[in-house]
Amino acid sequence: MSDVPLLRAENIHKRFGDEQVLRGVSFEMDTQDVQVLVGSSGSGKSTLLRCINRLAEFEEGEVYLDGTPTSEMDVNELRQQVGMVFQDFNLFAHLTAVENVTLGLRRVLGQSKADAETRAMRELEQVGLADQADSYPAELSGGQKQRVGIARALAMDPKLMLFDEPTSALDPELIGEVLGVMRDLAEGGMTMLCVTHEMGFARQVATDIMFLEGGTIVEHGPPEQMFDHPEHERTKQFLERLTTLHGDHG
Amino acid sequence: MAESATAAAPAEGSAGAPWRGRNRITLAKWAVGLAFWGWVLLRWLNDWLGGVLVPPGEPFLQAAVFTGLEAGVPDAIPVVNDALVGLAFAVEFLPRLVNAMWLTVILTVVSIAIGFVIAVPLAAARVYGRVWAVVSLAYVELLRGTPLLAQLFVLYYGLPWLPTFFRELPWVGAGFLPGQAVFVAVVGFTLNSAAYQAEYIRGAIESVDTRQLQAARAVGLDQVEGIRFVVLPQALRYAIPGWTNELVYLIKYSSLAAFITVPELFQAAGRIASQNYRYTALFVIAGILYLGLVITATNVMERVGETVSIPGVGTAAER
Amino acid sequence: MPEALSADWQYVLANACYLGEGLVVTIELTVASLLVGFAAGLPAGVVEVYAPRSERAPVRWLGAAVRNAGIVLRGTPIVVIITLAFFAFGISPAFVAATVALGFRSAAYQTQIFRGAIQSVGVGQMEAARSVGLSQLQSIRHVVLPQALRRSVPGFQNEVTIVLKDTSIAFAIGLAELLTKSYDLFQSVGHTTAIFELILFVSAVYFVLTVTANQSLEALADAVSVPGSEGQ
Repeated sequence: MSDVPLLRAENIHKRFGDEQVLRGVSFEMDTQDVQVLVGSSGSGKSTLLRCINRLAEFEEGEVYLDGTPTSEMDVNELRQQVGMVFQDFNLFAHLTAVENVTLGLRRVLGQSKADAETRAMRELEQVGLADQADSYPAELSGGQKQRVGIARALAMDPKLMLFDEPTSALDPELIGEVLGVMRDLAEGGMTMLCVTHEMGFARQVATDIMFLEGGTIVEHGPPEQMFDHPEHERTKQFLERLTTLHGDHG
Repeated sequence: MAESATAAAPAEGSAGAPWRGRNRITLAKWAVGLAFWGWVLLRWLNDWLGGVLVPPGEPFLQAAVFTGLEAGVPDAIPVVNDALVGLAFAVEFLPRLVNAMWLTVILTVVSIAIGFVIAVPLAAARVYGRVWAVVSLAYVELLRGTPLLAQLFVLYYGLPWLPTFFRELPWVGAGFLPGQAVFVAVVGFTLNSAAYQAEYIRGAIESVDTRQLQAARAVGLDQVEGIRFVVLPQALRYAIPGWTNELVYLIKYSSLAAFITVPELFQAAGRIASQNYRYTALFVIAGILYLGLVITATNVMERVGETVSIPGVGTAAER
Repeated sequence: MPEALSADWQYVLANACYLGEGLVVTIELTVASLLVGFAAGLPAGVVEVYAPRSERAPVRWLGAAVRNAGIVLRGTPIVVIITLAFFAFGISPAFVAATVALGFRSAAYQTQIFRGAIQSVGVGQMEAARSVGLSQLQSIRHVVLPQALRRSVPGFQNEVTIVLKDTSIAFAIGLAELLTKSYDLFQSVGHTTAIFELILFVSAVYFVLTVTANQSLEALADAVSVPGSEGQ
């Protein structure tokens, strides 16, 4: 284990128009950490995620990836190293599943069509969708779409994977297949930062849970601590409510 | 969480600060628009009333004013010099062009108004009729599928009784009432515009949920009343972008009337240019005048759209 | 020549070849103008969508320039544009002047078609492309445009019929397209009564051309459509 954390966010401030969404957020992640970010809607969770891969630009603070400030990196290179999975899947609608995965390999990493396809098929197999390789997104179910989205991000060999409410847009019976893939990923050693309401998943897989409210991280700690004896009353209330609402799809 | 942030900041850009930011642009637009139309109306009134401020056809500011200015301005600033020389020339012909523009406005306004009256039943027939739907479809497809210029030629050259009919009406061509060619042109533009407007209105009617009419019938209104009091008020708001499109189209294509001898703006520019060969200057000025009309039309329709807007019924952004 | 047809119809049919030459010019002018419009209008549409948000000032100025050029071209009557092209700027021969005029005017309208189509492709597509590491240009080229072009078909169909009918404006500069030729015919001595039949014939030709063009584009759209996307 290296002494430099894989990801370090320092004092992030982000404003949307008149509203200060993030007010000095700081946290760290080491390699192989699985951190879950929770908070009420509008608390800035998605925004924080987007600040990390610079889909959103922040005014103050800095993000360090492996010790290098992201503001000094070429933004496209940053995004090769940080994978993102979206709530709305955002699969390239005009491309088949395998083409969705090979696009980045060919255009960003410069791989040949053959090499890219080999790699893409491997990723699709990992998420259990090798037989749907030639299907278009419109022909896939929500859970299948999201798994392709995960494969697409993984194919780039990222150091860090960001998950922005990956199961929120799914019908309940499809959530399990996506969470299963995410759990396998975590067990395989991927460093993951997940915004999610799935508390069963968090309890089982997360190394750390962060509670974001009012634009700052109110409290964070390992699942046992956060669920069973949190420091702040607000944390307790919020997590209890989430568990009641979203139960356990684990 | 967000409350403290917004409570602290003053309400900037809202009704409490009327002359900031976007509203400055609106103010500028109004100023330019009023200046343009003020000048145009002044010219029209001046010439119709036989020369109130200056003799008819004479510019308000003589060209000499501009050439004098140009002589006064040091030659070191060529752009200003060229502009003043250009203005001196333009000023001579502006009165004639602006007067011809009156016909452009007449052609546009009359044609779109009568066309609208025809278009509404045409559209309703397409949506609600059976036999009439076919008739309406044939009419619309025929007029939209053939060039407007060809249609004007048919009316003016192909139906000789039409211009004759107009010529023989007692008041046509008398005083400053337009001549027979203008009437024929209006007929042509009206029939064409009705077809296009019918299409826009039909699309708008179909945007209105069918359950609206069902609800109207359930309350006891008959088919016609239901269409008139429930469907159309909503449909017309959806139709505003398309209708604005048609208005702009007519402003521009009124220029085709020149080819059936109507002395409107394009024809006037062409006639002057064929005498003094200053094609560039004259048609650029004509272009600017048309642009003025078009920009006025789109801005007015934007205001109209905002004024009649109902939350949830059509949007200006649906273009 | 069937005896049952009136003298006027016989006149029309006798000159079918003459009119046919005009038809060829009409079709050539339509295709050329649409190509010019596409070549200029697609990049202009991309610029109008993405330039305003650029961090570089010259790019923003380019966006403003494109937008204003579009406003002028869409707000000026086509007869004025074509007259300026031929008589004022002296572009010659008449076919080239007409192509330039119709082409750039069409470009201004196609810009709006493509702009609307690009904007209808959700921002999530662009975000996903960028998050995989594609540059903005790559994202536009490989992700946004392929989808936007498919969505442009209805608007483009509309534009084709407009350009086709507006080739008749070349009458103003004496280009020997279909309408001009028919005008020549019915103005010729002894045949002024044939105008009705001539225009009817010519209108029918325009009508057939319009329908053909629309159906062809429809078939093209079906051929390149993405399976499962019919709901778009």
